[in-house]
Amino acid sequence: MSDLNNTDLHEEPESSVTVIEKQAQRRIFKIIVIGDSNVGKTCLTYRFCSSKFPDKTEATIGVDFREKTVNVEGEQIKLQLWDTAGQERFRKSMVQHYYRNVHAIVFVYDVTKMSSFENMPGWICECDQHNLNRDIPRILVGNKCDEKEKIAVNTNLAQKFADSYNMPLFETSAKDDEKANHVDAIFMTLAHKLKNAKPMMPPYLTVQLGDNAQRRGLERASTEERNDSCSC
Amino acid sequence: MTAVKEISMISKRFGDEFCSEEASKNNNSRQSVKRNKEFNKSEKWQNIEKTLEQDPVDVSSLKQFAISPGGLLDDELRKEIWPKLLDVDVDNIPPKPGIEVLHGHRDYNQVVLDVNRSLKRFPPGMDENIRLGLQDQLVDLIMRVLVNHDELHYYQGYHDICVTFLLVVGEDVAFALVDKLSLNHLRDFMDANMDRTKHILNYLYPIVGKSNPELREFMERSEVGTVFSLSWLITWYGHVLNDLRQIVRFYDFFIACHPLMPIYLAAAIVLHRADEILACECEMCFVHGLLSKIPQDLPFEQLISKAGDLYLQYPPADLAYDAILNFQKTQSYAKARSKNLQKFTRNKKIDKKHWFIFDHDRKNGFLKFTFWTVTTAVVSAAVIAYLRSFEWEW
Ligand SMILES: Nc1nc2c(ncn2[C@@H]2O[C@H](COP(=O)(O)OP(=O)(O)O)[C@@H](O)[C@H]2O)c(=O)[nH]1
Ligand SMILES: [Mg+2]
Repeated sequence: MSDLNNTDLHEEPESSVTVIEKQAQRRIFKIIVIGDSNVGKTCLTYRFCSSKFPDKTEATIGVDFREKTVNVEGEQIKLQLWDTAGQERFRKSMVQHYYRNVHAIVFVYDVTKMSSFENMPGWICECDQHNLNRDIPRILVGNKCDEKEKIAVNTNLAQKFADSYNMPLFETSAKDDEKANHVDAIFMTLAHKLKNAKPMMPPYLTVQLGDNAQRRGLERASTEERNDSCSC
Repeated sequence: MTAVKEISMISKRFGDEFCSEEASKNNNSRQSVKRNKEFNKSEKWQNIEKTLEQDPVDVSSLKQFAISPGGLLDDELRKEIWPKLLDVDVDNIPPKPGIEVLHGHRDYNQVVLDVNRSLKRFPPGMDENIRLGLQDQLVDLIMRVLVNHDELHYYQGYHDICVTFLLVVGEDVAFALVDKLSLNHLRDFMDANMDRTKHILNYLYPIVGKSNPELREFMERSEVGTVFSLSWLITWYGHVLNDLRQIVRFYDFFIACHPLMPIYLAAAIVLHRADEILACECEMCFVHGLLSKIPQDLPFEQLISKAGDLYLQYPPADLAYDAILNFQKTQSYAKARSKNLQKFTRNKKIDKKHWFIFDHDRKNGFLKFTFWTVTTAVVSAAVIAYLRSFEWEW
């Protein structure tokens, strides 16, 4: 993952120690968030970056950008979240630019809407087409878990799907204040994975989440072979 | 006198009641005092009313009012003038089709999703029941246009344009106005894909570069692209500005001008913020982060007049070649070309009256303007006419 080292280049001559320190402080990871319109991509990224559920969201036009600096094992890491428009016309011609050099991908579906889950293979395919580097971390997020009585996508089904693509699955809610920590944990999981994903080391997830199903997903993600076939 | 000087003079003659931010930043106090004296809202109002009394009404004077500082001043005037600017007959608006027709359209679900999320576009403090009623009207208004023209495709952001018209002129007249605009100013955004929209965005760098080559070079190096200005263009800034009065002022300007004017305004905004941009780290996300948020306190009247100046100095046809180069740089040209060609031939068949900002020249594969000749002679008093002077085939 050579991109990781390219995020910050210093031209001035400096002692190697300060260079490393500076780089360490300023590592930036670019994460793209994709999925159908209205599944809650904007709310999730807003929840993470601003620590609240937005009272008025609007349709995303093109690409929006949010960022947050987090501390991972003593290192300040900046996570840049690129929140994309769900409407097909945008991603076909506008969003490609943003697929370049991403360090991680977050796929989002709405647990109350089967079609948003059924469209996942299409999104994954499209991503594979844009991304030469298939080894970047990818996670699957089922949002709107707070709508318990409306759940349409069964957890087992989603877990199987995630397993087949070798992605960890998270079911969460951007809206539910009690899940706020959980949304943070999802992005922190990615941050850990990114921080530790050095070229010579196998990616490994270190965050312990409370929910067993989620942890199972994570473990599998790091041990199983990636299903690389793209049929679209 | 050159066209450029003339337009600047016009913007100076109408002063700063609407751009006090400009006056306050202006070091030359003598000049700002002079401007304040010279702009007179009630005088402009009287002139507009006088023009409206004439029969037939002089549309080019109305366009001039819409462009010059303060625009059309008031929503009551807009109700009367916008239809005239767009040659819409408000007494002959076709009736609304039945619910089954409106709700059966392919884009209906997306429209509902977007309208449900459009709360921010309604005046704060509006009664919830009234707002909900307006949101229903907004869905109907959008669907009416779409069912009326099968070749038009809904895009996220179209609802931001429609809500502005709905709030100012009401559902029926809004339908008639948006219907007309959708076949003209907005037509390029409403293809099945966004290729033409992308072409338009490709004008941004050439315009910026002519005025400030260093800034263009910096932005190119940062790889920021043009998507930060996408919502500006396709919503006519409705999506990014909070103040409805500011938005409708822009709408006055855009309705009266060439369809590419929103991209000239984008260039004016970028140029205005040159120092901030150049102070940024030269990296996509920093520059994108800065640019995608439009400060709400920009000197908007000044920027409108700047956009007009840029348009006169660097008319679209002068930039077309550069825009194509920009386009070639950013994507596989051959692929887009074959797609465009197909689309072009198809659309031609559908309706000859629709024009596009870009048409494809089949022979050499270049994009060219089909509706606008820059060589139009510019005579002194007609400068504003120059701004809006291409003749539409309604
Ligand atoms: N109940 C519930 N609603 C949510 C949640 N996240 C988002 N929403 C709502 O879903 C709609 C779409 O959210 P948005 O973030 O704009 O979706 P996007 O199109 O994927 O960016 C909005 O009306 C949100 O209020 C959630 O976790 N629970
Ligand atoms: Mg969104």
